Amino acid sequence: MDFEFTEEQTLLQDSIAKFVQENYELPTRTKAIKTRTGYSEDHWKQFAELGWLALPFAEEDGGLGGSCVDMMVVCEALGKGLVVEPFYASVVLAGTALRLAGNAEQKQKLIGGIIDGSIKATVAYAELQARYELNDVATTAAKEGDGYVINGEKSVVINAETADYIIVSARTSGERASDEGISLFIVDAKAEGISSIHYPTIDGGRGSELTLSNVKVAASDLLGELDGGLALLEEIRDYCILALAAEAVGQMELMYKDTVEYCSQREQFGHALSDFQVLKHRFSDMFVETEQCKSLLYRATLEKQIGMPEARKTIHALKYKVGKEGNLLARLAVQSHGGMGVTEELRLGHYFMRLAVLDTVFGNYDYHMDKYCDLMSIPEGGDGEDFGFMM
Amino acid sequence: MDIELSKEDLDFQVEVETFIDEHLPRGAAIWTQRAEWFTALKNKGWDVPNWPEEFGGPGWSATQHFIWDKVTSKHTLPPTIPFGQVMLAPILMGYANKEQQDRFLPDIRDNKVMWCQGYSEPGAGSDLASLKTKAELTEDGKHYIINGTKIWTTMAHAANWIFCLTRTETTDIKQEGVTFLLFDMKSPGVEVKPIYTLGGSHHVNQVFFTDVKVPVENRIGEEGKGWTYAKGLLQHERKGLAGISRSVFAMEKLKEKVGRVPVGDETLMDTGFKKKIAAAEIDLLALEYTELRTLAEMVNTGSPGHSSSILKLKGTMMQQTIQELTLEAAGIYGAPFGHKKVGVKFGRAAMEGYLNGRPATIYGGCSEVQRDVIAKRVLGV
Repeated sequence: MDFEFTEEQTLLQDSIAKFVQENYELPTRTKAIKTRTGYSEDHWKQFAELGWLALPFAEEDGGLGGSCVDMMVVCEALGKGLVVEPFYASVVLAGTALRLAGNAEQKQKLIGGIIDGSIKATVAYAELQARYELNDVATTAAKEGDGYVINGEKSVVINAETADYIIVSARTSGERASDEGISLFIVDAKAEGISSIHYPTIDGGRGSELTLSNVKVAASDLLGELDGGLALLEEIRDYCILALAAEAVGQMELMYKDTVEYCSQREQFGHALSDFQVLKHRFSDMFVETEQCKSLLYRATLEKQIGMPEARKTIHALKYKVGKEGNLLARLAVQSHGGMGVTEELRLGHYFMRLAVLDTVFGNYDYHMDKYCDLMSIPEGGDGEDFGFMM
Repeated sequence: MDIELSKEDLDFQVEVETFIDEHLPRGAAIWTQRAEWFTALKNKGWDVPNWPEEFGGPGWSATQHFIWDKVTSKHTLPPTIPFGQVMLAPILMGYANKEQQDRFLPDIRDNKVMWCQGYSEPGAGSDLASLKTKAELTEDGKHYIINGTKIWTTMAHAANWIFCLTRTETTDIKQEGVTFLLFDMKSPGVEVKPIYTLGGSHHVNQVFFTDVKVPVENRIGEEGKGWTYAKGLLQHERKGLAGISRSVFAMEKLKEKVGRVPVGDETLMDTGFKKKIAAAEIDLLALEYTELRTLAEMVNTGSPGHSSSILKLKGTMMQQTIQELTLEAAGIYGAPFGHKKVGVKFGRAAMEGYLNGRPATIYGGCSEVQRDVIAKRVLGV
């Protein structure tokens, strides 16, 4: 039993921290956000050169064969830097879809490009009426000749504006919210019939509303099993939650540390704020909850890596806990900073906005509480001693 | 990073499970067959698991202790009183002279002498170093004369001996001038008064000392250094008080109950109560890993570090959460206390758990002190 990182993992962590320190001062970040694409192409090229984009892919596909723990290390470090380059959309979201379900031809066509940065991809899974449910898919893909014709609307698709390929969930059979009958298709972002509204999101990212009108795809663009897309989407969600939670835990850690530091320097009523016990205890709670979230992150990540059957339940637990405690911590951090907490001058405020968005991606804490309840084991019986009723 | 146990540790786990299967008395037999259980433990060399090998213990690693806790937490063991074997013995091993060790340790090991702990006083609770119980050396230098009082002394009414923090000198630094003494509870001038806690239980007492005469050879270590001796154990004590394996077991028991408490034609588990259970269970999933992380740190560095404060703080809160939810589950049958067999059978036990569980966040350094410790030692404020 061991919770230390390997030397390679530590090196990876350090190299990202160094990159962030040298390239990601807040003003530089703000400048990148305001460009047309919403991020720096130069940075993106460096990501590829440093091998970060290759990490989760199998060696036979040109990747580095990184583990869940490797990805955790990277996502935590990128999250601390509030990195806006489309690592999550291209490598985690679309990358996982291709890794898990791509056939040889699809992997050949896309993974090499994702690794060298020349291809960017994303996944369009959300719809307005579905809230957080992955099975509520009104978009349809009707068989036509050798291929399919897709019609429908997709919501808040991350980094779709700069994506070359968009993996779209669409209904190939069944009722709107049926678990069966969902299929995923790899759609060329420039395909005829796609119209979009692009917008910045509050966390410094980019999102798009997509309308697909008679978008034609070939049968070979089907990703994974026909009608079996829900299971794949749920698998993708598991990996994405691990990545998002790693990011959140890194941000929680810096938020409590920033808060302690700020309150140690700021004086009011003739004392440093950190002299007040009510604040000391608040810091202590912030620290403890961060450690608890980190423990759950380690648990979920290791369970997924080993392939334990309870991994999905733990991942729901993780998203619940990080969503709830992360945002509580963020609010306390802002409160402790007073007026400075509500400005955009400190990184704290940007973490605050990022954590608020993180909770909404792939289901908020309340949604995952329900999911957890569905999977929670309820032991039956026992020895009967305790459970009888006399009436 | 991995969570696999080594081959040796897995073998040890099987050994513990087998031992429990073969020797642990079940049900009411934990009272009638206690002696057989303790004999079996002694024959196996596991009767004093926390003792190092040089003093006849098994010399378990931190991981082996964890495995023992994990396996035994799924069972009800014949109760033991921790004061001798767990609390006092390590202090004797660390700081007593050879004569004292030979005199006291064998009887502690065999449970022949029952000990109680004289630490807290009416004016010294969480601020333990403010203790005032006075020990004055007689002119011939052969005895200390003790005057003062100790409170919340668990099982003092049944104990044969007490280990006691006393003040031999009043200095500016209150951690100095504290002396660690052992004495017989039958000594003239020792008086024990019961304190009845919520629900009418008698576990704790106030103990009064009036000119109690204690031979100097009963002093552990140097005069005035007693605080150092007592303090060393606190970190380990905190970790032990978290009881996380027990909470995992208690959570399973709670879910069994909730799944059977009727609410109309459904059960309580079909209501919003399920979310409260789930929220607690999620916290516990995290806490189990916080404990494993602490354990890994102990294996690597030899010390649980300050994460022992996290474990004490969150572990005791978790115990209380489960007690609170169990009482809530009992509904109207939390109230009847005079009869064990009306309504929901676990009603009385649920209320007892709720009442007796309160001190967990008060003793061993209360939750507020743990937060102070974390702020100071971990966060540096």
